[in-house]
Amino acid sequence: MSKRPVPCTCLRSATSSKYSELDKIIELYKNKEGSLIQILHLAQEIYGHLPLELQQYIADSLDIPLSEVSGVITFYSFFSTKPRGEHTIRVCLGTACYVRGGKKIIERLSEILGVGLGETTKDGRFTFEIARCIGACGLAPAMMIDNVVYKQVNVNKLESILARY
Amino acid sequence: MSGIVTTIADLEQIKNKYLDHVSKYKCQVLICGGAGCISSNCAEVKDSVIETLKKFGLEDEVLVYETGCMGLCAVGPVMLVLPYRTFYTDLTAESAADIVKSHLVDGRILMECTYYDKSLNRHVPRIDDIEFFKDQVRIALRNCGIMEHDNIEAYIARDGYIAACKALNEKTPEEIIEEIKKSGLKGRGGAGFPTGIKWEAGFKAKSDKKFIVCNADEGDPGAFMDRSIIEGDPHTIIEGMIIGGYAIGANLGYVYIRAEYPIAVDRLSKAIEEARRYGLLGQKLFGTDFAFDLEIRIGAGAFVCGEETALMNSIEGKRGEPRQKPPLPFQKGLFRCPTIINNAETLACVPAILLNGSEWFSQYGTKESKGTKVFALAGDLANAGIVEVPVGMPLGDILFKIGGGMKDKKKFKAAQIGGPSGGCITQENLNVPTDYKSITKLGAIMGSGGLIAMNEDTCMVDTARYFMDFIQDESCGKCVACRLGTKRMLEILERITQGNGEEGDIELLEELGATIKETAMCGLGQSAPNPVLSTIKYFRHEYEEHIKKKYCRAGVCSELFISPCENTCPANVNVPGYISLVAAGRFIDAYNLIRQENPFPAVCGRICTRPCESKCRRRTLDEAVAICDLKRFVADYAYKNEKPYSNDIIFPKNGKKVAIIGAGASGLTCGYYLVRIGYDVDVYEAESVAGGVLAFGIPEYRLPQSVIAHEIELIKQAGVNIFLNTEVGRDVDFQDLRKKYDAIYVATGTQFPQRVNIPGEELDGVIHGINFLKNVNLKREVKLGNTVAVIGGGNTAIDSARTALRLGAKKVLILYRRTIDAMPAYESEIHEAIAEGVEIMELVSPVRFIGGKTGSVKKIECIRMKLGEFDNSGRRKSIPIEGSDFIIEVDNVIPAVSQYSDLPFIRKEEIGVTSWGTFIIDEDTLMTTMDGVFAGGDVARGPDTVISAIADGKKAAISIDLYLGGKGKLNKGPKINIPDNFDEDEIVSHERFPLDMLPVEKRMDLDSEVVLGYHKLNAIAESMRCLRCDRR
Repeated sequence: MSKRPVPCTCLRSATSSKYSELDKIIELYKNKEGSLIQILHLAQEIYGHLPLELQQYIADSLDIPLSEVSGVITFYSFFSTKPRGEHTIRVCLGTACYVRGGKKIIERLSEILGVGLGETTKDGRFTFEIARCIGACGLAPAMMIDNVVYKQVNVNKLESILARY
Repeated sequence: MSGIVTTIADLEQIKNKYLDHVSKYKCQVLICGGAGCISSNCAEVKDSVIETLKKFGLEDEVLVYETGCMGLCAVGPVMLVLPYRTFYTDLTAESAADIVKSHLVDGRILMECTYYDKSLNRHVPRIDDIEFFKDQVRIALRNCGIMEHDNIEAYIARDGYIAACKALNEKTPEEIIEEIKKSGLKGRGGAGFPTGIKWEAGFKAKSDKKFIVCNADEGDPGAFMDRSIIEGDPHTIIEGMIIGGYAIGANLGYVYIRAEYPIAVDRLSKAIEEARRYGLLGQKLFGTDFAFDLEIRIGAGAFVCGEETALMNSIEGKRGEPRQKPPLPFQKGLFRCPTIINNAETLACVPAILLNGSEWFSQYGTKESKGTKVFALAGDLANAGIVEVPVGMPLGDILFKIGGGMKDKKKFKAAQIGGPSGGCITQENLNVPTDYKSITKLGAIMGSGGLIAMNEDTCMVDTARYFMDFIQDESCGKCVACRLGTKRMLEILERITQGNGEEGDIELLEELGATIKETAMCGLGQSAPNPVLSTIKYFRHEYEEHIKKKYCRAGVCSELFISPCENTCPANVNVPGYISLVAAGRFIDAYNLIRQENPFPAVCGRICTRPCESKCRRRTLDEAVAICDLKRFVADYAYKNEKPYSNDIIFPKNGKKVAIIGAGASGLTCGYYLVRIGYDVDVYEAESVAGGVLAFGIPEYRLPQSVIAHEIELIKQAGVNIFLNTEVGRDVDFQDLRKKYDAIYVATGTQFPQRVNIPGEELDGVIHGINFLKNVNLKREVKLGNTVAVIGGGNTAIDSARTALRLGAKKVLILYRRTIDAMPAYESEIHEAIAEGVEIMELVSPVRFIGGKTGSVKKIECIRMKLGEFDNSGRRKSIPIEGSDFIIEVDNVIPAVSQYSDLPFIRKEEIGVTSWGTFIIDEDTLMTTMDGVFAGGDVARGPDTVISAIADGKKAAISIDLYLGGKGKLNKGPKINIPDNFDEDEIVSHERFPLDMLPVEKRMDLDSEVVLGYHKLNAIAESMRCLRCDRR
């Protein structure tokens, strides 16, 4: 991942330059009927996620209600209103991993990261999620960080694994 | 670049130029750039090929290019070398370099890197000889995997855009619609609506603005057909849409692709740009006044958007909620204009139909469904990937012939077809033709073509839960039926899989499902209950087991068991428990822990079918833990190091008496558990030894008499009385037993050989397998000639053959009507038999036994067999090949096909008996239709395994105790603490530790045991391979 997602606070301070990129996109699609989703795709590509301020800005620029923009964003799983971490940790909770202590891994990771499932750490480094079976049942419990699979994880190994990121 | 294309001649010119360019090269290397191969790093392979070619200066002789998906994703990355048509699989950068050196430099096919057919056990180098490709007919996929996916000239060289050019110049829209109608093409997205009729509706709709939409929002888990087409042959979609647009009168088309397919979006965007450059999209196409252009719309992660009205909302930039129908899309669709929506695969067929004619297309398929269908094969199949077959090909052929059958020799359970809107098809219906009607009749749907094969390790309740979870997640929430109904269904399924299911849950699911089907607004909701209803229809017993017995036979619902092995063992032996005791060096404790659940550890340690090992999770890493061999090790150790005393407590007598008929594994187990809780138990045995089939049906070299005798001795010590040579019905009267005892357990097994039922079976020299083995084991005189033929493929057949060798037969043949890998006998026994010199003739069946002058058998007339369609157990039937009869000369024949039970001591009219001759019993209590008479083991189940017989005996003990007023609680002995000695260190891959075996040359006397078992050090090492699935 080359792009570091931008936390909401930055948006307020450095709005002008950030929004100018968005303005170009909106200008391109403004007069084309039904382009909201296209705009949102591109906006998310720039900003990493779609916070409320950004939604408001898009709504104003297209002259449509905020509720319409927000409604579309929350409908589709691809759009995120919260910033995502630089890395995504997915702990497997498929049957084999569940049985072999996946839950313990989640408890401990939650402690180390200081966030719950579905959340992103304050420093924006990790988003913490669960995964259904990732097909590493023989070496359960397993977890993935981005695309790397860590097999046979135990609570003692967690910190050293995270230290690599 | 030759500028704008307007005529056929322009296309021809591009074609010839491209073909000229290709023909300059001696060889071509086609590297699959399908999504599967990309994720297994085909880019590295391509680089390596190009680099190696350069190194040898062959870059001008060999043309290297990337194609779309070739289909065999399971063994990717793959590549095809032309002109030899050699198919290389599982490539790495290194192997690719080796192939270049060997094949392209030295001209020698690198066999070990070519496709390996696991069922034939050999490499099949030529793509045309590979079963996976042989029976396919590729129309929608006609260009996938054999042409450059990113070059419009390659597409034109394969007659691309000619259909569109001709259509626009030579045909009216009506003529095109008529042609499509005649072809019988149906919507491949799932609903199967005739495309021609849909187009006609679009054509007739009056509006100055119309749209054509390609639906490529392929959301079903396990489906990736559209993706393969778009990524491998994007121009066919463009051409199909130009033709469709012209036919209905649309000047703009949209391709709606899901955001999860970035490669497809990328390749199609580039193809659209290319087409525009060549004047194939835009104004005045092919010199006509027709204008047409395409836009891509990317989905944003919503399954419901595959539904056409939701998809239109999404294209319009709105929430992808479905719209009420009518108005139908062709009346009022996208931006309120008439809109025709076709699936990607449907559109891919259109250019081919117009190019070759409707008759060409309709020659494939069935009477009602024409053409071909693409399927995405996934799940537990050997050849997962993309295939295209004529509509109506039997499902079994797709799964087993093309799909290569089940991986790891697992048993097929069901095929899920149609994704979350579909249902499952079981082994009884493997011959079903895959056409829209036949599949629907079975409660599934053809759907978009996702075909997931599931093996015995799949829990159908959990599968239903998975799909419901998916649907619940994807329900858009607009209508109540779907939003709340699926939620309630999911909750019920969750509680069933967690062991909290209640009586009535199944009925509740059925009722909810029926209501949702009737009242949901769109296709997603209306079909959402299908996976649940379909699994209930075919696997109701699994739902019942989860609810009533808290048992998951597949070993998936982990809340219901200790570990997969324990869950699978019919006797529920605590496998991880005893394995950790072995690792701790506490062998006697391990032995006693096994004995708590199974009084025959040494016997089972030798001859158990090891169902536990088939579910061992270590299998996915290297090889299952040798659970059974460890059992044998501790049993043998305990035998050698027995303590003179035991702290075991047997409960005081309760004054009640139970008679058991038959001193086999089942009867003795039942007696053992009953005496331990205070019953007086008398066992009546007709033969002169106890042990039943263990004693006289299994040869000494596999199971020594002394081992059986020892375990029976321990059962006797617990207080069980055994009366040998006492046959019920002859020596004692059954009715007297009923009067004298409070309950009776019948466990007489199946000891009568099933006849082969062919002429000559009564000749001298023909002796049935179980009689033969019995005579040998009981040391009766058995004389064999030089050549012995055994008939059958089960354990009795293999045992008979190996025993015949030991008795001095010079040549022992086994005739089996199917193939070796379909033999029900244990694989290791088959291997040992072959190693010892037994010859197996596959696909051969006897027609008659022919006697010689002395009246004893001299010859067998045999016929060769071939594999036909599937029977209702999911195996291929073997059918005789007419006129292939031949004669073999023999001195003895040992038929060993099957056994049955006969119960002369009970009159058939007094008790319920099945058509197989087994008792009808209550599944939960094992009681027969006669009050107080219970039955278990083979006499109730038909020929089955020892461990099942033991499990029945234990179950009967509980049931008899309950019947006689007890609490049904067994006295299994003192509690044994299991050490928590799991090694947290990294697990290193290691196959099984070896067993000691008797060398082949020392085996030829009847009494030497072949398998000698584990050395203590190897046993401990082996036990440490256990992953300890019981630890939570």
